Amino acid sequence: MAFFFQELVNGITTGALYALVALGFTMVYGVLKLLNFAHGDLYMIGAYIGFFVIQWFGGPNALTIPVPLLLVIMFVLAAGLVGGLGVAIERFAYRPLRDAPRIAPLITAIGISFFLENSALLLFGAQPRIYNTPQFISFSSGIQIGSVSIDAVQILVLVLGLVLMVGLRLLVNRTKVGRQMRAVAADREAAEMLGINVNFTIAATFFIGSALAGVAGVMGGLLFNQVTATIGFIAGLKAFTAAVVGGIGSIPGAVLGGLLLGVAESFITGYISSTFTNLFVFALLIAVMLVRPSGLLGRAQLQKV
Amino acid sequence: MKGRSAIIAATALGALVAAGCGSSGSSSNAGGTATKSCVATIGMEGPLTGPVAFLGQEQLHFAQLAVARDNLANKTKISLTQGDTQLNPAQATTVTQQFTSNSKIVAVVGPAGSQEVQAVGPLMARAGLAFVSGSATAAALTTGKYPTFFRTVSKDSVQGPQDANYIVNNLHPKALMIVDDQEAYSTGLVSVMVPIFKAAGIKVDHQSVSQKVTDFSSLVAKVTPDTTVVVLPWQVAANAQQFGRNLAQQNKKALIFGTDGLYDPKSFTIKGSYVSSFGPDITAIPADAPIAAAAKAKYGSFGTFGPPTFAATHVVDEAIAAVCKSGQTPSRANVLAQIKKTNQPATILGQPIKFDSNGDLVNGKFFLFKINSAGKYQLIPSG
Amino acid sequence: MSLDSQPPAAGPQVGADEWVARQAHRREYLPSWLGTGQRWLERVGWWPKLLVVGLAGAALPLLGLGGFQLQVGIDALVIALLAVGLNIVVGWAGLLDLGYVAFFGFGAYGFALLSSSQIGPNGIHLPTYLSVPIVMIGAAVLGLLVGWPSRRLIGDYLAIVTLFFGEAFVEFTNNVAPSVLGGPNGIVGIDPISVFGRQITTNAGYYYLLVVVLVLTMAVLRLLDTSRTGRAWRAVREDPLAAASMTIPVNRVKLMAFMFGAVVAALTGTIFAAQQISVFPTDFDTPILILIYAGLILGGAGSIAGAAAGALVLMVIYDGLLRSPTDSGYLFYGLILLTLVVKLRPWRRLAVVLAATVALGFAAHAVAGAISARAVAGGPHSTGWLAAALRDWVVVPANAQVLGNWGYVLLVCLLIALVQVGRRWRTILLPPTICLASFVWETRLAVEPAITRQLMIGAILIVMMNARPQGLLGSRRVEAIT
Repeated sequence: MAFFFQELVNGITTGALYALVALGFTMVYGVLKLLNFAHGDLYMIGAYIGFFVIQWFGGPNALTIPVPLLLVIMFVLAAGLVGGLGVAIERFAYRPLRDAPRIAPLITAIGISFFLENSALLLFGAQPRIYNTPQFISFSSGIQIGSVSIDAVQILVLVLGLVLMVGLRLLVNRTKVGRQMRAVAADREAAEMLGINVNFTIAATFFIGSALAGVAGVMGGLLFNQVTATIGFIAGLKAFTAAVVGGIGSIPGAVLGGLLLGVAESFITGYISSTFTNLFVFALLIAVMLVRPSGLLGRAQLQKV
Repeated sequence: MKGRSAIIAATALGALVAAGCGSSGSSSNAGGTATKSCVATIGMEGPLTGPVAFLGQEQLHFAQLAVARDNLANKTKISLTQGDTQLNPAQATTVTQQFTSNSKIVAVVGPAGSQEVQAVGPLMARAGLAFVSGSATAAALTTGKYPTFFRTVSKDSVQGPQDANYIVNNLHPKALMIVDDQEAYSTGLVSVMVPIFKAAGIKVDHQSVSQKVTDFSSLVAKVTPDTTVVVLPWQVAANAQQFGRNLAQQNKKALIFGTDGLYDPKSFTIKGSYVSSFGPDITAIPADAPIAAAAKAKYGSFGTFGPPTFAATHVVDEAIAAVCKSGQTPSRANVLAQIKKTNQPATILGQPIKFDSNGDLVNGKFFLFKINSAGKYQLIPSG
Repeated sequence: MSLDSQPPAAGPQVGADEWVARQAHRREYLPSWLGTGQRWLERVGWWPKLLVVGLAGAALPLLGLGGFQLQVGIDALVIALLAVGLNIVVGWAGLLDLGYVAFFGFGAYGFALLSSSQIGPNGIHLPTYLSVPIVMIGAAVLGLLVGWPSRRLIGDYLAIVTLFFGEAFVEFTNNVAPSVLGGPNGIVGIDPISVFGRQITTNAGYYYLLVVVLVLTMAVLRLLDTSRTGRAWRAVREDPLAAASMTIPVNRVKLMAFMFGAVVAALTGTIFAAQQISVFPTDFDTPILILIYAGLILGGAGSIAGAAAGALVLMVIYDGLLRSPTDSGYLFYGLILLTLVVKLRPWRRLAVVLAATVALGFAAHAVAGAISARAVAGGPHSTGWLAAALRDWVVVPANAQVLGNWGYVLLVCLLIALVQVGRRWRTILLPPTICLASFVWETRLAVEPAITRQLMIGAILIVMMNARPQGLLGSRRVEAIT
């Protein structure tokens, strides 16, 4: 039974991480109908930013500032810088293609992904960068329920993830910017005719989505400890999977998809087989898609004549 | 607008074709100035970008270091041409074709993966081009199928039993978990080690995770209380470090036994772990101090994949120098013949380098390290 | 992305469609004799054009191509064939299939299993005329299976399910039944393909075989395109509901698209396996999928010639030119010059910018050299005549890594800024940007050719899609965004 709960905790933690990256992905899709394959690389850049912040303040063994302050700086800086990068990418690469066939921005996104990944390789080198989290957040600061142990970092990921998801939901449902985002996602031309500044709204969406990816990157660095230029690819793939399985364009769907993916991976590794984890996860997700063809929480696709 | 684009595209293509034709012609005539000094080009193939870029870049840096030092020492003018394979055999074929078609290249260092060696071996043999690998360890590579292949590391069929026997005789586990990372290097070792464990009556839990996985908490949760050893014949040290973290986090008492890939004093520092490496700790070998210092100054930290590639490049450089010293111009045939006769009593690996008739390193040593409570690697003397 | 400050050519043309686009195109001929040539080309049927291009391609090796160029040609032809096959699924039927490379792998592995010593004591060594058709039929069945979910799934949901299949294939061949499928060690020792009794064992032989197969496939697909099935595919792509009301069996049409695509991919797989003499699971992973898609879309999805042309151009640049550091340098500087020439009008502006760049470069070099000898101690890392030309123009310090990195970041920021600002500022910023670009190239990019290759292909993809979103040979059409 303890094993079950341990796997559950692990699954929900990684699921929360996937959900955060999937959120940004799905938001961008909502307003632009664009599958942003470069999203995972924004996660990677966030992770590098977190690493450099740790180095700036003395490195994991000799921090010069208290840990909570360090964490705040890491998250804020990653969110801000990666968000800005996302806005720049949108302005530079996606805006000219806004009216092109839907498949053209896919290739631009792939080009940007190549560019970001290899720029990181060029600038930061190929050696993995190690966060060394237990040096400044030791294991003993977690909680232990019976023989189920929850690490402090896992708690941080869960809490922060929850806060961000709730905050995003409030933003989208209660604020003016959120209303504008929903309007642009529903029908861009009509939104424009209503006087909404579409360019600003799309830029804001990109900023928030990319900032979420950046924060997820820092969390990933804290959880998994190593950062290389290629972690973005896997993260992007998971985000894509989680977002689509949950119903692409739907924010609660992305969260649900991410959690489902994390928990499925965890339980299948634990109970069935670690060798064929991916195969079983795929089979499970295909079954989900066949039962709910528009994703878990997606809207049934209207076909216009 | 459309017409102009067509002209632009046509001009661009024309320029590219012209450039391509120009360079294909120049590769044979440039550099043909016959001087008294020894001029040659060697190729280096490795995963320079892609998922295991850290491995390939480390190998490249050490190869470049070797060429620079040997050029100074032997007064040769050897230049290094690189080729990126991304550990993909089809790309390795393309890179190898690039090297074999370039008549200036007289020998090749690499490729890194055993699958790549299998893919390019026939090509190299047909071109008579010698290739020395610093990391391809599959036993099947030296059964005579690839007459121009050499390697400066020992093979899995030697390392596997050695490590397995050490575990059985010295660590006495009742149950152990062995996890492979679904790459050829890993599965080769596992297939050799598991029968030895089973024959000794140890309960073996064989798991397998993809190299792309970076969180092992789910796998670690499966480690039973009576499992005292976890064997990780992995290529990515940082993954093993994370595994060790997950072990500590979930209060599992098993210790980690790793092979070459885990040898990385910066990335893998789980106290009490064992690491079996085909390369020694060159920072502990006094003769290697200048090389280690130069590598650290220029490239930062390094692990286990650099030194054997340094050794491989050194083998090639020395062969070229020997050919020049005997008055000939380096060519593929005479460099190949010279490499076969390699006999270096002292090398960066802390052991002599000599190849047997199949290209294997003669008496390749394995070095067993234990990580002490300060996180430092301590060599366990053999015997 | 245009360097002029004029707005991009017309936004969504409400009510326009493919037929209208073709009429508009008819009025866009090039002036004078080029236009006459264009009109004549259009009047000539498709098969003479295909035949001429095919003969030209087949004649290329006779110009004296070396082993490497033949290999690049083979790689390019393989991706071209795959792009042509993918065009059926994506370009014609409009189904986003992200698992296409699994059919390619299926063909390769199928052929490998049937033509090597893998199964049984001595292996099944079926002759080519048996193994290839068997593999192709198997692929059709597999295409049917994979296409089955497409009955209920549309758009991006189909994409993810096909992506799963693609990933599952790699996992399957890597981990399941290693004694049969070879595991990560793959299958080695595959028989060569024999055509009309003669075995093909050289690269030149496979090159010719691939040219012939590509030409034949393109011809067959062209015939298919103009048939009822082709029209049905296009109808389903544009509007499935309307197509269904016109009594087109939508599900069956989708399945047929999958099957045809799968068969083409499997055929390519067999030739690939025979040429490589070995197959490994990593040969069929996502990077190949990305290349096929990039080739298809760069060339223009929906057009057979476009798919093949885009893939060929992409692979020749990526696998051929960019693998040589010298050629990469030529390409880099050549593209900068080309962009300037194309985008800077009038001529006076171009001349001013070029002159300013040259002057700025020499001035910077002189100033830096005067300040400190170490600042210009490193020479340009390009090879060939470029190095000689640039030696006194670009500033390359002795230990340039950190400086080069910062220069790189600054260059990217400058490029983004260049796109946003107005005309006058653009003219002012261009010369320093070009000098900086050359600086970054010589200090960092030319030193790491493997990384630069990836960077350049990424940049080329971004720029090409911005410049011509419909692809090289595609036609501008408006898609209904669901």
